[in-house]
Amino acid sequence: MINRSYKELLKMGRFPHTWCPGCGIGAVLKNVAMDLRELGWNDRNTTVVSGIGCSGRMAGYMNLDAVHTPHGRALTAAEAIKTVRPDLNVVVLSGDGDLGAIGGNHLLHTSRRNPDITVFCNDNEIYGLTGGQAGPTTPKGTKTITSPRGEIFQPLRLGRILTTQAPYFYARTTVYHLNHFKACIREALLWKGFSFVDIISDCIELNGRRLGFKTAHQMFKWFDERFHIVEGMRDHLKDDELGIAKREVEAEEVPMGKVEVKVEVKHEDLKTFTPEELKHFDGSEGRPIYIGYKGKVYDISASPLFQGEKKMRCHIAGKDLTKDIEIAPHGEDLVYHFPIVGRLKE
Amino acid sequence: MKQLLSGNEAIFQGAIRAGAGYFAGYPITPSSEILQQAAARAEEDPGFRFLQAEDEIAAAIATISASLAGAKSFTATSGPGFSLMQEALGWGHAVEAPCIFVNSMRVGPSTGMPTQPAQSDLLQIKGGSAGDYYPIAFYPNSVEESFRLTVTAFNAAEESLSPVLLLFDALLSHLYEMADLDAIEVAVVPRTKEPLGRGQRLFTGTAHDRMGNVKTNDPEAYRDWLNDLKERHLQVADKYPLFEYFPGKDPDTLLIAFGITSRIVAPLKERFSIFRPIRIYPVLEKELKKVTQPYRHIIVIEGNDGQYASWAECAISRKVMRVPCLGGGFKLRWIQSQIEERLKGR
Repeated sequence: MINRSYKELLKMGRFPHTWCPGCGIGAVLKNVAMDLRELGWNDRNTTVVSGIGCSGRMAGYMNLDAVHTPHGRALTAAEAIKTVRPDLNVVVLSGDGDLGAIGGNHLLHTSRRNPDITVFCNDNEIYGLTGGQAGPTTPKGTKTITSPRGEIFQPLRLGRILTTQAPYFYARTTVYHLNHFKACIREALLWKGFSFVDIISDCIELNGRRLGFKTAHQMFKWFDERFHIVEGMRDHLKDDELGIAKREVEAEEVPMGKVEVKVEVKHEDLKTFTPEELKHFDGSEGRPIYIGYKGKVYDISASPLFQGEKKMRCHIAGKDLTKDIEIAPHGEDLVYHFPIVGRLKE
Repeated sequence: MKQLLSGNEAIFQGAIRAGAGYFAGYPITPSSEILQQAAARAEEDPGFRFLQAEDEIAAAIATISASLAGAKSFTATSGPGFSLMQEALGWGHAVEAPCIFVNSMRVGPSTGMPTQPAQSDLLQIKGGSAGDYYPIAFYPNSVEESFRLTVTAFNAAEESLSPVLLLFDALLSHLYEMADLDAIEVAVVPRTKEPLGRGQRLFTGTAHDRMGNVKTNDPEAYRDWLNDLKERHLQVADKYPLFEYFPGKDPDTLLIAFGITSRIVAPLKERFSIFRPIRIYPVLEKELKKVTQPYRHIIVIEGNDGQYASWAECAISRKVMRVPCLGGGFKLRWIQSQIEERLKGR
């Protein structure tokens, strides 16, 4: 017996909905509603936010307080709502054009600030509502009405953008892989922090038919051929993988504005170099490159500027460079990056 | 206690007095001090939340969303940032979110002359976003009045359920004056709009009826909704018919000036009559008609090329003379010579 109580979360009086027959958005809306219902999220503790486009209309069909933002701004709105009302669960329902193109900057920065919101992106790889123009996630070579000879640019990989931040939660699934899809929804809703579910979905009317698919079902079979599910913890997902890439807060973050304190070796304990000895370490014949600065000797072999040659413009290896660096356009900070190996003989 | 404070500080204090709980902004001279104060406040007061957004688009969307979530919210920017906020301003009217936009004007268009003062964003109040909307805007001319008008603006926002604009200019932002804010008594209108999480409402920028149901194909529902909105806004505006009028010796000539310009031409008070609109928009039609009626010559002195002058002409159905103070040049002697030139032979 299927539990139909999720319908309490949907404005059934407004059905039939606005989407075309065969569209994947219905599956997204239904499965999200089912999961919200199972988790006990309701109109007292949950707000949905959406952007513009076919997928942006999802919020309007939910029996929750819903905010339908201008194009691309759903994430910003969701973050502000969560900031003011930490007691509310905030869920974003939107699409790839809204979140990836016009809202791309907000995707980058909202994920960086990591508010506790969950984003469901109906990724149909096309601008559906406006008639089937190429979108940011349209695969290269796809013919659309704005790329009549095939899309010429590489698609935007939403996962790659998100996983440059830490912590992150990025899941990719499709409307066809139902069990996987449901598992991703649940895990994303329970994730503390910014979670993003990239749901590969079909737009049969304005994309699929042009690609040669006769029915939505044929597109689902195509998803099955294109993608395979990967299990277990991942840092990243390859383009043909469905799964969850996530990382909790990095173990040790250096608080901003606090510089690491280096353990200073006592001056007296350091090896002493005479100018002649120092001259020997000029990088030739596999020897390290040393320079002198304010009474200390630094090993600058790792400096990319000294690779291959003995000299780097005006600075000569194996020499006391105190006076040179004083008049150099760069500061002395540059020197302090390198390890101290000794001291200069006075 | 009397203290020395700047226009930006007075605006922030006014917002706190009005009960503001959220600020979102993006750095831009000359409004950045408001952002800085908000950051400092958020550190001390857990009831005050703050977002330094990635751009003014996000800042404005966050301000409106925070208002829907239940906080009295405001943002501050300058001309170029205000251009980016136009989208959100239209949305704020559509979703009926009470909040404040502060615009400290500088010379435009585009980056213009950073950061010479100007008064050239008047048309942006009304004409920057798509469609019809009826914003209310105030423009103070002193530090103390900035404080009072900020509270007034918050009150008008709560009453009209819309974003209310507080115009300002670069000179007033950084003008320091003595003021005793604690001694100023102001009435504060409390929040009446139900916050998110109390129902099943849809807040949308798409045309909708009074119940929040999307109506994209129903002229009647749209007319009803827009007329309601217009009537409410004009009624609230009527509660604040703020202006100043000083009759002078010359029975024929009336100067119209507002904001910083009214301070600069104040020494001419002995000779000419001066009218200072404080509620800049909707234009003070009745008041202008009444005041201008006995005068043969009306001269509008403003920091732009005749923006208020054209509004005044519409309001009183008469031609007015213009003295545009452009490029940040607000010299009294120059203004005086321009007035003499306009009056020559008349």
